Amino acid sequence: MTTDTQIEIDPGKGPFRKKSRPGELAIRGFLFFCGVLSIATTIGILYELGKESFLFFGDEEVSLVEFFTTTVWQPQVGGFGIWPLILGTLYISFIAMIVAIPIGLSAAIYLSEYASNRVRGFFKPVLEILVGIPTVVYGFFALTFMTPVLRSIFGSSVVGFFNVLSAGIVVGILIVPLISSLAEDALRAVPDSLRQAAYALGASKLEVSMRVVVPAALSGIAAGVVVAMSRAVGETMVVTLAAGASPRNFTFGQDPLFGYILNPFEGAQAMTGYVAITANGDLSYNTIDYNSIFAIGLTLFFMTLGLNSLSRRFVKRFQQVYE
Amino acid sequence: MTNETSTDAKIENEIQIEENMTTEPDRPGGAVPETAEIPGVIETKDMSVFYGDFLAVANVSLNFGTNQISALIGPSGCGKSTVLRSLNRMNDLVATARTEGEVHYHGENIYAEGVDPVEVRRTIGMVFQKPNPFPKSIFDNIAWGAKVNGFRGSKADMGDLVQEALEGAALWDEVKDKLQESGYSLSGGQQQRLCIARAIATKPDVILMDEPCSALDPIATLRIEELMLELKENYSIVIVTHNMQQAARVSDKTAFFNVKLNDTGMRTGRLVEYSPTEQLFTSPKEKDTEDYITGRFG
Amino acid sequence: MSVQAPERPTQTSFPNEEEYAGQLGRRQRKALAFKFFCLAMLTIAVLALATLLYTIINDSFGLVAIVNQNDPDQVVAEAGYDPETATLQDLSYDELVGLLEANVSSGVGRRMERDQRFYEDRLVFEDEATWAEICSSGEPPTGCNAAPRDHSNVYALVLERVVVPDVIASYPLVPSLLNPEAFEEEVAAGFEAGRFPDYQPEQAFIEWRAWFNPTFLTTPQSSTPEVAGIRTAILGSAWLVLITILFAVPVGVGAAIYLVEYAKPSRLNDFIQTNINNLAGVPSIIYGMLGLAIFVRVLEPFTSGAMFTTGVPPSDNGRTVVAAGLTLGLLTLPVVIISAQEALKSVPDSLRHAGLALGATRWQTVRSQIIPVALPGILTGTILAVARAVGETAPLILVGAASFITTDPSGPFSKFTALPIQIFQWTSFPQQEFHNLAAAASIALLLLLLTLNAVAVILRNRYSRRAE
Repeated sequence: MTTDTQIEIDPGKGPFRKKSRPGELAIRGFLFFCGVLSIATTIGILYELGKESFLFFGDEEVSLVEFFTTTVWQPQVGGFGIWPLILGTLYISFIAMIVAIPIGLSAAIYLSEYASNRVRGFFKPVLEILVGIPTVVYGFFALTFMTPVLRSIFGSSVVGFFNVLSAGIVVGILIVPLISSLAEDALRAVPDSLRQAAYALGASKLEVSMRVVVPAALSGIAAGVVVAMSRAVGETMVVTLAAGASPRNFTFGQDPLFGYILNPFEGAQAMTGYVAITANGDLSYNTIDYNSIFAIGLTLFFMTLGLNSLSRRFVKRFQQVYE
Repeated sequence: MTNETSTDAKIENEIQIEENMTTEPDRPGGAVPETAEIPGVIETKDMSVFYGDFLAVANVSLNFGTNQISALIGPSGCGKSTVLRSLNRMNDLVATARTEGEVHYHGENIYAEGVDPVEVRRTIGMVFQKPNPFPKSIFDNIAWGAKVNGFRGSKADMGDLVQEALEGAALWDEVKDKLQESGYSLSGGQQQRLCIARAIATKPDVILMDEPCSALDPIATLRIEELMLELKENYSIVIVTHNMQQAARVSDKTAFFNVKLNDTGMRTGRLVEYSPTEQLFTSPKEKDTEDYITGRFG
Repeated sequence: MSVQAPERPTQTSFPNEEEYAGQLGRRQRKALAFKFFCLAMLTIAVLALATLLYTIINDSFGLVAIVNQNDPDQVVAEAGYDPETATLQDLSYDELVGLLEANVSSGVGRRMERDQRFYEDRLVFEDEATWAEICSSGEPPTGCNAAPRDHSNVYALVLERVVVPDVIASYPLVPSLLNPEAFEEEVAAGFEAGRFPDYQPEQAFIEWRAWFNPTFLTTPQSSTPEVAGIRTAILGSAWLVLITILFAVPVGVGAAIYLVEYAKPSRLNDFIQTNINNLAGVPSIIYGMLGLAIFVRVLEPFTSGAMFTTGVPPSDNGRTVVAAGLTLGLLTLPVVIISAQEALKSVPDSLRHAGLALGATRWQTVRSQIIPVALPGILTGTILAVARAVGETAPLILVGAASFITTDPSGPFSKFTALPIQIFQWTSFPQQEFHNLAAAASIALLLLLLTLNAVAVILRNRYSRRAE
């Protein structure tokens, strides 16, 4: 097949040269820089937290061993064991999960398996509003409503002004939408043919939902639960306002377990609460208080990082089942 | 190859049919008993299915014979799947679906007031177009239906049940050493046979199959068709297929559906002809049927 | 009526017909109970939201018992006006300043002037020489460089210092509507019990008070809860939103464009993606720590404005609006990136192929074909992300939002406060009036968020309809 027109082919150049486009390169470079900036953020977090923590542990009053093995947090007298703060954080998160998992999961099952579009159209916005309310408003709610209610139910001699239960319940309400939306996504991703197969075998709606669909969506649901837990651990305002500023210092073996250590009716400062209160006061650089918040922050960072990685592992497992 | 449950009337008709039949010695189905008069295991009486205002299929009266394979064929949109799914009330799962008329199962109308669809599906099983095993082990896939229906035997009994079901589905030899593996670890054809095993584990009467081979390759398809002919001995089967040759291969009777445009422009499916398969394919009564099977439309 | 299959093969392991019927009834009842349980749980969630909103509204309006040290009507009369027709607010700026001069001690007056002047051209409480001296010292007070006060500002001061209202008790909305007499009795009982030792029962009068009202939005912060407003906080939040958007949107969208349109699968790019996903889950307080360590401390010459010696007044340290804005920007960045990525990914590949096949460069394709289609999604995601940042408190605490500041922020390098910080501060005070203020401020914050979310939803609906 010959063509009538001949293209002038310059040896060495050719009709199709690779044109250098500096503009393109510049733009691509700028965009790449934006992407890399995110790495800079992580590096910044790790570096700053690490540096100040290093200074913290370098101080003669504090030792790494003491930080992780003692159970008294009282900086004024040199007590730097982190466990009371971790106890506060975990206890509040635990209560939050007890509240949020039944509500969130049931809501997800109902919205996914039972609700008509109209009903969903009503409940989903409610859940979206719940997640959009700023946590400081939740803190206000915990202090001015939840605590008085608890005090009137259980008596004001039993329930302290600051208490873990009030903070835990409110944090639980706060994270319900996290569980319900992720669980609902997981449930809806289960192929309808599975439900059909189960119905065709003569199963009732409960059996189809709980014994086929939920187990099939389990890793997706687990991912949602873990994300919610991570959020509860990192929550600051509610625990600062409602759980108080006294760390629950304890001596394992000496203090009564249910009467004191695990008493939900008294306040217990959480890790985030300590950081917020300390930073809110007079804070000068290079003091032990200043450095301590970074050490706590570093611990918190790794806790949430671990939880988030776990959650992503669950998501991947869920995606693998449905190729 | 004769059916155990033939009645005297059937045998009479058999003789009549044989005189009309052209010899097809290789046809594995053998002689086809005429069951026009005797109510079969499932009978639809003037059944219509609506989705909202849309009349999907109208005035279907069909009689599916016991221990027979009945095929529903027709072009896309003719409502054959809708008809199949109404036989075990699976249409109930669609919010806008409404069924008029009656569907009699062993004489009882399954659409009567107070009938629980869950109970209907206990004895009318279903196999779907795309294999859909549960994300559980092979063993649990089969045990699940039985458990849900109140199986109360011991673990050994359950093991027997699973084995029986897998043997019935011609899958036992291939999976007997890996019962605890996931159902998804099987090939497409094996998965479909697993679904068949799952359906027969609950000891149904009737098995409904909605284009069971359309997602499978020809070799797997052949195996399933062979299986169907084996299953016919103990179950009654109704199958929807868009593959006319398949219907010709396996079924005893075939129903041809077609889409008709009514005066308001709605496309409604209607039953055109229901005859013994042999007859439908060689000398159809209706012109539409002839046009379809000769490929003039579809 | 049950559907029976006659002559089923006998199987002792399966229930017989009667047993099955019984079981079926039980199973269906359980199914119904489960359905109602789930619905009940959903209802609890709805109730929780309703209770929260109720609590806030309940505390934002209601009856209060007030004692005014100086009756405002009297003050108006003394200024020469008829109290029937004129209120304190009608007085002119000069008259209000005059009232302050007459009623406030010189020490307090000088402090007020040093915080913020009354007039551009003359001093009220200070003398010129001292003023010049302190303004040229190493640490000049904010009044040297800030703009002078305005009418509402001075009016608030007059209320605070001349009228001196004191709310001695307040009552929530619903009881105020249903049972107002109970409040009167409560106040009377309070006087008898000696809870208000500074006042006589005759001095107190009961009136309706809407803690959330338009004046609340325009009045600056004050240590007297009765006259405090959230103007400073709203302006602070507005500045923060501006800086956050200016920082997070270009960088975030840029990163998203890079990751979706340019990046080839490689270990580095995978790492960047994982990193962003991780960052989205980091608690906000850690971003606050990062902001404190870097923007406030390390970058103090920049954030305090000392680098820029012309025009913009510098603060004495890095705890400024720009430091907080950058911190919130970092916080929002991962969320903006992820939602922009979603928007870009939802653009069908066919558009990209079409553009490239015509011989366009990648950037030309992205700029003219992809971005316009993805823009609504990007905008929606950005607005939602920013809305979340508006409600964040913890990072602001860390970065050093001022707990008490009455002057409006004049630029990016000024001290600031923000709505959530105000709510936080007021909630942590024990007095009931501060809780009322916190509730009113919460309403303001929720309305702001509602507006932002509504804008995002409207945008999304408008553009998704257009796309069809």
